[in-house]
This record gives sequence, structure tokens and C-alpha cells, in this order.
Amino acid sequence: MKLVAAKSILKANDQLAAENRQRFDAAGVYCVNVVGSPGCGKTTLLEALFDHLRERLRPAVIEGDIAGSIDAERMEALGVPVVQINTEGACHLDANMTASAAAQLDLTDVDLLMVENVGNLVCTAGFDLGEHLRIVVLGATEGDDKAVKYPAIFQGSDALVISKIDMLPYTNFSIPRITADMKRLAPESPVFQVAALKREGTEELAEWIAEKKKIVSHG
Amino acid sequence: MLYNYYMHELAIAEALIEQVGTELDRAGQSGAVKRLELAVGRLSGVHCDSLRFAFGLLSPGTPAEGAELSIRQPPAISRCRQCAAATEITEIVLDCPQCGSPEIVIEEGRELLLESIEIED
Repeated sequence: MKLVAAKSILKANDQLAAENRQRFDAAGVYCVNVVGSPGCGKTTLLEALFDHLRERLRPAVIEGDIAGSIDAERMEALGVPVVQINTEGACHLDANMTASAAAQLDLTDVDLLMVENVGNLVCTAGFDLGEHLRIVVLGATEGDDKAVKYPAIFQGSDALVISKIDMLPYTNFSIPRITADMKRLAPESPVFQVAALKREGTEELAEWIAEKKKIVSHG
Repeated sequence: MLYNYYMHELAIAEALIEQVGTELDRAGQSGAVKRLELAVGRLSGVHCDSLRFAFGLLSPGTPAEGAELSIRQPPAISRCRQCAAATEITEIVLDCPQCGSPEIVIEEGRELLLESIEIED
């Protein structure tokens, strides 16, 4: 006998993610999932975004790392409420881990919840956390062929942030190439260029996120 | 459980086994599972050999134990804005396979589905 299922293998995760999103919506929290490989500049980007946004939006952050709390300490130093998830080997966050971490935050005091995923361009692609927006960060030093090599993560992201663009003169990274590849995979998703340490281009990205939040909150 | 997530195919195999259990319960079935038909898109980022390996590790002692995995790999589609061709592709292309235009959009290929469960009568 054959049972027809025709359901997502990750249905349990997808359902939990949908519940997370409902919980965030009910509390007026806008959630952004930040993905990218280790060292691409996710934490520095978050520091810059909080600099630009914290006067308007009350931020909080969930830090996903295999081990340690270095990133969480950086967020604490900024005075941003932070929950550290140590995945103890896990290569990605999932909706269940996100739910547990979010439960440790007082969501009534949060407008913008940034989730810094485990540094990984592969495994993070399949797991919806319940975010409203997913941003993929790619460092200019990582090579402009990454969208073609890791299409799933780029195809499913709402924006591409090219980081460390102040390093461009020392690389053969082609902005037109990665932009064209992103356009093939995610035609609606904008491409931002930032040098987060110098706060170059980060304000434009912050504005875009704030605008996206407005649309959700009012819609 | 530590081992769950060392590679994401393990997490996916675990989710698959859980999903099989849920579907069997829903249908009120308890027979041995012979075969699972899956759709794993070409751009899903899931490596089928790793998924089989992980399934072999995790399925013993579950209702899915011993099941054969029959995996279909749906292609992605290159949709051309110049010549309007929709071409099935099994890997990323940079130009339209029909007319060579770079004005293409790549769609689909990210499926990750449990399509059917075959149970011994």
C-alpha cells in the first residue's frame, strides 16, 4: 500500500517557524535572519546596524555559534539584549532553537530581533527560523563565484550584502558578476555594498530594513 | 542530542523519519515501510548520498527502518527574458541554454519533499 504524503521533509521545522513568526507578529517584533560564512562580517554588520537603528527601534539579538560567547559579549558591550545559542556542533540554527532563545527575551521590549546564524553557506539554507527577512552576507575577500557555488542560500535570501568593500582593490572580486548572479537567483532581492567597520553603506541597509519593518507592521 | 546536526543531512534525515512516523500515525498504519519516495531538488543543497548515509544511521529502531529511499531530483528552470525559453537545468547556468542571453532567472529546484510511503500489505 502506498500513502501519498507530498509534504515538506522539514514540515515540523516549517510549522514551528510559522509559530515563531506569529509570536513575533503579535509582539510587534520584526525578525531578520543573517546568514553567511564564518568571517564574512556578520557580527560587525550587526554592530553597525544597531548604531544606525537603535534610536528608532529597540533591538535584541540571538547569536548562533557552535561554541563560545565571543559574539554575544560584543553585543552585550553595546548594551543590546542578547541570547547566545551554542549549537554544540550543529551547522545551522533551526526554528526550535530560535523559539527557545526568543523565549528568554522580553519581546514586548523588542522591535527588531536580529538572528546571527551559524557561519555556513550550505546548511542554513533549508531552515526557516520564523524570520521576516533573510539577509546573506558575502565578504569581498570570499570570491565572486559563491552565488553560483552555493545557489540555495542566495536563491532564498531577501538581500545580498557584500561586505568589506574597502578590500576590493586587493582582490579580483567582481561586483557586476555577483550582482548578475544574484539577479538570476533572486531577481527581487537588492544588493548592498558595505564596509561595516567604517560604517560605509550600512546606513542605507539600515534604512531598507526599517522600511521593510514598516510595511509588515502596517500591513 | 549532539550528533543530530553535524551535517545538515543528518538533521534532514531525522526530520524525514519523524515525518514518516507522523504520516503513519495519521493513516493508522503500523506495517513495515518498504519504500520512501522523496523529491530532492537539484538546488536544495542536500547531497543525496549523505542523506542516504544519515538515513541508514538514524532509521534503525524507527518505523522507517529498512525502507528503500527512492530519490527523484527535480531540475531547476532557467527562464529567459530574451527568448522566453524555460529550460530545465540540473546545475546553475549563467546564460540561457537556448539563446545564450545572460538575462535569465533561475527558479525552483529547491524541493525537499516526502512524496509517498510504501507499506507492506
